[in-house]
Formats: sequence, structure tokens, C-alpha cells
Amino acid sequence: MTSTSDIETFILRTAMGDRAAFAALYDATSAKLFGVCLRVLNNRAEAEDVLQDVFVRIWRKADRYAVNGYSPMTWLITVARNLAIDRLRARKAPARPIEDIYDLAASGPTPEEAAAQSSERAQIDRCLDALESKYAESVRGAYLEGETYQDLAERAGVPINTMRTWLRRSLLKLKDCLT
Amino acid sequence: MAPPQSVETKGLFDLMTQAGDQPRDDIALAGEYALHLLDADSRFAFEQRLRDEPELRNLLREWDEGLVSLATEMNEVEPPAAIKRAIEVRLFSSEKADRERWFGRIGRWIGAAALVAAAFALAMYVAPSFTRPDVGPNYLAEIAADDRSVVVEAVFDPDTGEIDLDTMVGAPAEGRVFELWLIADGAPAPVSLGVLPQTGTDGLTVPEVLRSAMLGGTLAISDEPPGGSPTGAPTGDIVAVGLLTSS
Repeated sequence: MTSTSDIETFILRTAMGDRAAFAALYDATSAKLFGVCLRVLNNRAEAEDVLQDVFVRIWRKADRYAVNGYSPMTWLITVARNLAIDRLRARKAPARPIEDIYDLAASGPTPEEAAAQSSERAQIDRCLDALESKYAESVRGAYLEGETYQDLAERAGVPINTMRTWLRRSLLKLKDCLT
Repeated sequence: MAPPQSVETKGLFDLMTQAGDQPRDDIALAGEYALHLLDADSRFAFEQRLRDEPELRNLLREWDEGLVSLATEMNEVEPPAAIKRAIEVRLFSSEKADRERWFGRIGRWIGAAALVAAAFALAMYVAPSFTRPDVGPNYLAEIAADDRSVVVEAVFDPDTGEIDLDTMVGAPAEGRVFELWLIADGAPAPVSLGVLPQTGTDGLTVPEVLRSAMLGGTLAISDEPPGGSPTGAPTGDIVAVGLLTSS
């Protein structure tokens, strides 16, 4: 398994225009980033398109990585998720359910990954559990599915302004807990 | 049941306890930005602040780092092998890449000394594109035809309103020009941003009133007579489109 510091090295070398490092970065992270695009977009063709945009963006922005202070996977996942949600917002037609398109149960994290992730995962779960469940679900919906305030309000059955006011309060609690 | 003013008082108390720290409002706002819950205008305004406010960038980073473990729920899926190749074609098979290969070939032909010289020339050629000291977001679009017969890279600077345009592939037919259009989110019709310069890399300036509409907007290129569309709307085919997104 590729370590976090390997990935960081690949990004820094990509910033210097090293194509071999860029190829290695792709090999190490494309499955994760494709998973992010698929989860948000629910549409395989769009996810493939966005994955290309993600790596084009990574190639062009790798020089900024060094100054922004992000951990490498956070930076990569944030780039992928943002581009996928931009695409989601730009389209109007609803997508087919993802189960129609791809078997998402096909792969999960390796045991090593799972161990490395579990403590941070436990923290966000604990912090979300401390929120009222409908707002915890809203945070998940926004993060994982790219849902809008309108989507969240409809699902929770409250007016959009109410959703925003209460979610913002929940975010303050969440931030306190995460920090 | 609490009377309304006690809610006010609590809000004030929240603000005061944070004196000297991040304002509560910014903490929630950065969270909303990280979750991608802000509408296009608020998102744009937040990104403008990110350019100038390092504390806000730190706050956003804390949010991104705090939320990222939710992505463990996003399972890995191996993308098709063709995607990697497509990315490399997009990035490296342009005119610039050809020039790099040309330098490389010369190097092999005329020996080690020339190789060093060619490598130096290549470094001088490539280096400027890697020296970008800015840390705030900027805006990029790849405006491309479905069959990639036209590919134009656009970089938009919202402060100056300049769009740098780099035509990677394609050119208008003899006696025709390419015209750039903004289709803003929710706008009823495209707005012309001007005729593309004939030379490879050059810029256009977006009028101030349109700048905030750029983010999340779609850029399109149409085929037009010399001087651009005479009607204020595209008259020829739309040859390429792309979504403008922040970094």
C-alpha cells in the first residue's frame, strides 16, 4: 500500500512537472477519487469525465499544495469532491440510481487503511452523534451526496430557512467537537 | 418557552465568548462552504475573502480536514484504464508537449553538451508556468468540443476580470472567428465576452458587472463572422463548452 508520505512526495514532484510522479500519483489515488466522483454524481459517464478534470486540476495546482497546509489525501479528496459537486450543480436532470450503474460494494479499504482511518472516523462519528440526528444526517447528505439546503429541508420536512439556521448552529457544535 | 430576546442574548453571548477568536459566523460559513451548501453568489464572495484572509483559509482547512474522514464511506472503484491515457493526452499532447519532445530529440542527436543546453532551454520554457505565488482560488475552465477538435483553456482572475485563453487545439475556419460567451447560472441567454484573439495565448477582460456571475457559469465558444456576432446572440454553431470552476 502507498503511504501518505509517498503520496505527498508524488504531489510535490508533480508540482515540479515530473510526469512519472504524476502517473504514480494517479495509480495510487485514482480509485479513491473515482469513488468520490461516483458517490456524488451517481452517474458513471459524468464521474469518468470529472475524474479527468480532477487530475488535470491536480497537475496544474500541485504547486499550490505545498503552501496550503493540507494533508495529501484531504487535498486530493477535496479537489475531487468540489469538482464533482460543481458538475452536479450544473446539471438539471436527475441521475439514475447508482446501483443501476456500478457495484459499489466491489471494494473497500484495505485492513491497513481501515486501521489508519478508524480513529479519525471515530471522531467524526462521535461528533455527529452528539448532534440532533436530522442535522447529523444533513451534514452527511451534504458531504457525501452533495445535497443542497433545499434537498436537506425537503428531506427533514422543514422550511429551508429553518434548516439553514439550525444547521449553522449544529456546525458550530460540530466544529468545537472536531477541533 | 423562551421569549425571543433571550435568543438574541444568547447569540450575542456566543459572539462575545469568541472575541479575539474566529467570529462564530465565519466558523459556520466556512463549514457551509466546505460542505458546498452556499449558493453561487455566497460561494464566490467567500472565495474572494479566502484570497485575502489567511485565518479564513486556516479555518476552511480545519473544516476540510475534520470532515474528510466521512469520505471513508466513499468506496474505491477502479476507473477504466482509458481514463489515465485520456488525462495524459489532455495534458501532454498539446503543442507545448511537442516542443518538449523536440528538445529531447535534438539532445539525443547532438550529444551530451547539447542535451544540457536543451534541458536548460526546456527548463526556461517550462518554469514560468510553475511559478505562481498566489494562494487564493482562481477559476479554470476547459472549453472543449465533444470530439476535442477544439480545446481552449481559460483562467479567470476575478480581481482584474481578465481571462487568459490558451487555444490548445483547433482554430476557426478561414474568414471566421471564435467568440466567447458566458451562460451564467440561471441566466436566460448567453452574454458575449468578446472575440477570441487570433494568436495562441491572449486574454479578454470581463466587465465588472459580469464578474460575480462567472463562477459556476458555463463558457461557450461559437463560430462567427469577422468581428463577432452582429446580433448580440450566437449566430453560428456552438463549437465548444466548459464549466468555470474554482480551484
